[in-house]
Amino acid sequence: MTSIIEEMWKTKEIIFNFAKSDLKIRYRNSVLGIFWSLIEPLLMLGVLFIVFSTMFKFEIPNFPIYLLVGIVCYNFFKNGTVFALNSLSNRSTLMTQIYFPRSIPAISSGITAAIMLILELVVLAIFIVIFQFVPPITILFLPLILALLFILVLGIALPLSVLNVKYKDTEFIWMVIVHAGFFLTPIFYQFDMMPVQVQNVLQFSPMVQIVTMAHHVVLYGTLPSVTSILYAVGSISVITAVGYLIFRKYQAKIVEEV
Amino acid sequence: MSDYAISVKNISKKFKLYHEKRDSIFEAATSFFQKKRHYEVLQALDDVSFNVKHGEIFGIIGRNGDGKTTLLRIISKIYTPDSGSVDVKGSVIPILSLGLGFHPDLTAISNIYQSSILLGFKKEDITKRVDEIIKFAELERFADTKVKNFSSGMQLRLAFATSVLVDPDILIVDEVLAVGDVNFQKKCLDTILSFKKRGKAIIFVSHSMGEISKFCDTVMFLKEGKVGNIGSPAESIAAYQDYLAKHPEINPKENISNNI
Repeated sequence: MTSIIEEMWKTKEIIFNFAKSDLKIRYRNSVLGIFWSLIEPLLMLGVLFIVFSTMFKFEIPNFPIYLLVGIVCYNFFKNGTVFALNSLSNRSTLMTQIYFPRSIPAISSGITAAIMLILELVVLAIFIVIFQFVPPITILFLPLILALLFILVLGIALPLSVLNVKYKDTEFIWMVIVHAGFFLTPIFYQFDMMPVQVQNVLQFSPMVQIVTMAHHVVLYGTLPSVTSILYAVGSISVITAVGYLIFRKYQAKIVEEV
Repeated sequence: MSDYAISVKNISKKFKLYHEKRDSIFEAATSFFQKKRHYEVLQALDDVSFNVKHGEIFGIIGRNGDGKTTLLRIISKIYTPDSGSVDVKGSVIPILSLGLGFHPDLTAISNIYQSSILLGFKKEDITKRVDEIIKFAELERFADTKVKNFSSGMQLRLAFATSVLVDPDILIVDEVLAVGDVNFQKKCLDTILSFKKRGKAIIFVSHSMGEISKFCDTVMFLKEGKVGNIGSPAESIAAYQDYLAKHPEINPKENISNNI
């Protein structure tokens, strides 16, 4: 693992260059450009709010903020991993013409998603002001939770980027997981609304723990429970370690598969 | 030993040549149970060794598909060899084909930045050289145009200008002269010769025997992934043409064009 952090540091200019060109290419020929990354979560927020506050009458205090915290976290997870899927395969010509470490496209996908996350956090801040919600001091722990989430994103982005070159199925499987995960994460409901048996299974999901922890520090003014932290750190360590091993197994010869 | 700019020792490389490429996990799983092999092994390079001195233009000739590009990719670290070692002193610039890994949706300027950063340059240094690169490539009017709108000659000019002005220690020229117009060809050759004068090593791949015999100091003939001959241009070209004459069925057209 230390070698990859070293490599990240040495190649930071390439990583940011890739992230910048990814954003440029993503929003080419669009008038609103990067603001599209704000419109999408806002539309999502609107729909979820209307459906669950008027039709299902969920009674979660500060529901818009609650929703937005979950959406922002989940969007970061989704963007980082989904961008990574084609990050290597889109660079097939480049791969055969100049050598660069194979981890760079996946890492810069994570960076691209992190740039979008920062914009979404600005929107969250605006909502907090609009709804005159006074955030508790524990909100200062949010960056730590997001840093943990960033590790998870990298741990999944790295193997996805090489696997999707080798097996195109990766993309389809991952999109299903991302869509299912949205409903299996307490974004528009509270985790304890779930039956206990389901809770017992889903507590192993790192996204469940991350979003729960974010709700704690932003809304309730409480620190996340020790169990939450242990489950989150444990599951993220396992996923990242396995992901890194998969990446390492395939990365050297992946250029021959493009 | 350390006098050589590039020292290649006993390089071998095999490829799996899929006749029906397995691209999905389902196919991978089902073929796991079938005894049938889906690929044959292609020995692209077989025990290739050679050295290139500083200030030398080293030519490589051989038929299409006999391992020239694979060899260049191994030298520039894109492929890892199955066995053998490559020892390169200094920075290598591959010009493997048109473009230098250019992204079609980025402008000429953005692509210069991307390629040069990948080749190990700092952003500030590139900013100093960007105008010079554009000027050398004669693309002043198209600096802010996306590369997908470029003709192949323009892409080649941009690639050549970028790689020359980042001033590498080793230059790899892979059949690129055929695309540019006469003026630019002359500019390229002048540059290559000035590189030689400054003691840099150049690997020169071409199908034009005229260029090979005119510019190269040493020429290697790659024969089906093996070293056919290493020696003076005249010797290697003779070995190559002798080989083609004995196998006229392989590629008669190429044989004719090589004699021009």
